[in-house]
Formats: sequence, C-alpha cells, structure tokens
Amino acid sequence: MNAPPSLHHAHHAPPVYFFQGMRKAVSVPALVLFASYLGFGAVLHGVGFPLGAGVASTLLVWALPAQLILIGGLAAGTALPAIALAVGLSSMRLLPMVVSVAPYMRGPRRSLFWELVCAHFVAMTVWLEGLRMLPHLPGEARVPFTLGLGLSLIGVSCLGTVAGYTVAGEVPGWVAAGLLLLTPLSFTVLMVRNAVSATDWLALAAGLILMPLTLHLEGGLDLMISGIGGGTLAFIGGRLLERRR
Amino acid sequence: MIAPMSEGTALLLVILLGFLPTEVWRTLAVIAGRRVEEGSAVFHWVRAVATALLAAVIARLLFAPAGALAEVPLALRLGAVAAGVMGFLLVRRSVFAGVVVGEIVLIGGAYFLHV
Repeated sequence: MNAPPSLHHAHHAPPVYFFQGMRKAVSVPALVLFASYLGFGAVLHGVGFPLGAGVASTLLVWALPAQLILIGGLAAGTALPAIALAVGLSSMRLLPMVVSVAPYMRGPRRSLFWELVCAHFVAMTVWLEGLRMLPHLPGEARVPFTLGLGLSLIGVSCLGTVAGYTVAGEVPGWVAAGLLLLTPLSFTVLMVRNAVSATDWLALAAGLILMPLTLHLEGGLDLMISGIGGGTLAFIGGRLLERRR
Repeated sequence: MIAPMSEGTALLLVILLGFLPTEVWRTLAVIAGRRVEEGSAVFHWVRAVATALLAAVIARLLFAPAGALAEVPLALRLGAVAAGVMGFLLVRRSVFAGVVVGEIVLIGGAYFLHV
C-alpha cells in the first residue's frame, strides 16, 4: 500500500480520535454487518441457542464464519473437539490479516496490551477499513481510532444479532436471497476500492479464480490453495511486474 | 435443534469452541508480526495472502451459497456482483451505489424467477 505520509499534524487528545473512529463506523459496511448478523440472530433462534451466549459470541469471536460453524456444529451434534478444530481452521485467515494491518494499529509507543486489544477487532470489515483509513492518521491517533471504529461495529452487530433473533424468519425467499448476497457483494466492491498495486489486483483475481476450481477438495484445502497459493503467486507476479518498470 | 441449555453452559461453549480457537490466530499474529514493518517484503507477501484468502471466501459464498441464495441461478449471482462493481466504478466510486445496483439486479431477478 502506498501510504502517503500524514499531512495534517494537528494533535488531539485520544477521545477525539476515538469519536472520529466511531463516526467512521457509520457506513455501508456497518449496514452490511447489521444485515449479516440479522441472519445470524435468525439462525440462533432457529436452532434454539440462548440469545445471551449468541450475542456474547458476536462480541468475543467477532468472525461470522467461525460463529456459524460453531452454532451449526452444535446444532448438528458434531463432537466438541471437531467443532473447535473447524472453527480454528476457519479463523486461520485472520493471521495474515492481523499481521498486515497491525503496523498501522500501533501508537508511537509500542504496547503489547493495546496491540492485542486492537487485533481483536480485526475481521473482514475492520481489516479492509483499517488498511484504507489508518495509514492516513498520525501515529498517536491509530489506537483510539481503531477502538472507536471496532467497538461501534461490534455494537451494531450485537444489535443485529438481537434483532434477527427477535424477528426470526418469515421473510420471502427473494428477500432472504438479497440478505445473503450482501456479504459477498459488498466485500467484492470494498476489495475493488482497496486494490492499489498490481499485487492487490492479482491477489484478488487469484482468490476469485482458484476458489471455484478447488471447491470440491476436502477439509479446508480449497482455502489453503486459493489463499496461500494464490496470494504467493500474486506476490511473485507483482514483484516481476515492478522489476520490469 | 440444540438440546435446551442454560446461558452459562452456552457461554462456556462459546468461549472454549469459538473464542479460543479464533483469538489464538490474532494473538499469534501480533506476537509473530511485531517485527514485521510496513513496506517490507514479508509485509507485501502477507497482504497478498490475506487479500487472496478473503477473495476466496467471497468466491465460496457465491459459488457454493447457503439457503435462499442457492435457489438463485449461478449466472444471476455472478451477474449481480458484476453489476455491483460496475455501479461502483460508474457512480463516483460509491460503495453504496455499487451495493444498491447489485442488490436491485439480484432481488429483481429472484423475484422475476419466483425464488
């Protein structure tokens, strides 16, 4: 990412940046999160999982695919260690996400505690929005901004979970299809917006193209090949293109 | 259906089977990634892998969807996302415009096809 150095050097107190982060959370991705967690709330209601613990999963896990695997596994009567393993495999994708955004989530003084707290907010939305907004902020703004943004988005998602649980079901098929499309649609648009370098575009294309080709492989192998394999190919391709220039 | 359980039991399951297996990756990333500086080669590789992984997750949601979206033909799902990207590029790079265009195409098509 070609991050331009921060242009404005006005210094503010941490709460100012915290509220800036909260304000930036009022966005299309927040609406999408609300809608996605509406669906999750409906699932909780459908399988009879207690609402309080369901909302706690949004707060603590904060990764919708992992939450769906957890609830789906419990509903299907899957052995508990197998559920934990499946959740762990699905959440592995968070590791490269956190590594790549973490350099922008540090203040001028490094603190392991705050780095861990900020990392908790990283899932698809905070990763995409963080990579876009954080590089433009001065160092001392990054931690409070991330806290404001992350807490607001988790709050909105908890509201969605409760709302979905409460209104559960009873929508016609074409509305449900529209709700289910929100996540892949909005994330595709967000990724197109975030793509800056040739490597970004190559990685986006590699993931989209390799996934359908590896779809029928067992045990999460499809994600490993299209993600790690595709990303590595994109990285090498991007380097070669840069060298030519 | 899940056998009836108390909030306390359910919370324990959420922590052991959901929170811990997820948070371990975030924690590892912070500890292992503390030495990764922005702009380094490792940083660029990790970013490429994260991007490809997310693209792959999106592709899986489109090519092997769940529930009502599975009733919609693949061509309409892909067409709606393509229309969304076009909408984004044509209407002042607005994410909102892109999402609205994509949704109109999908919901309109699904309604028309009696999904």
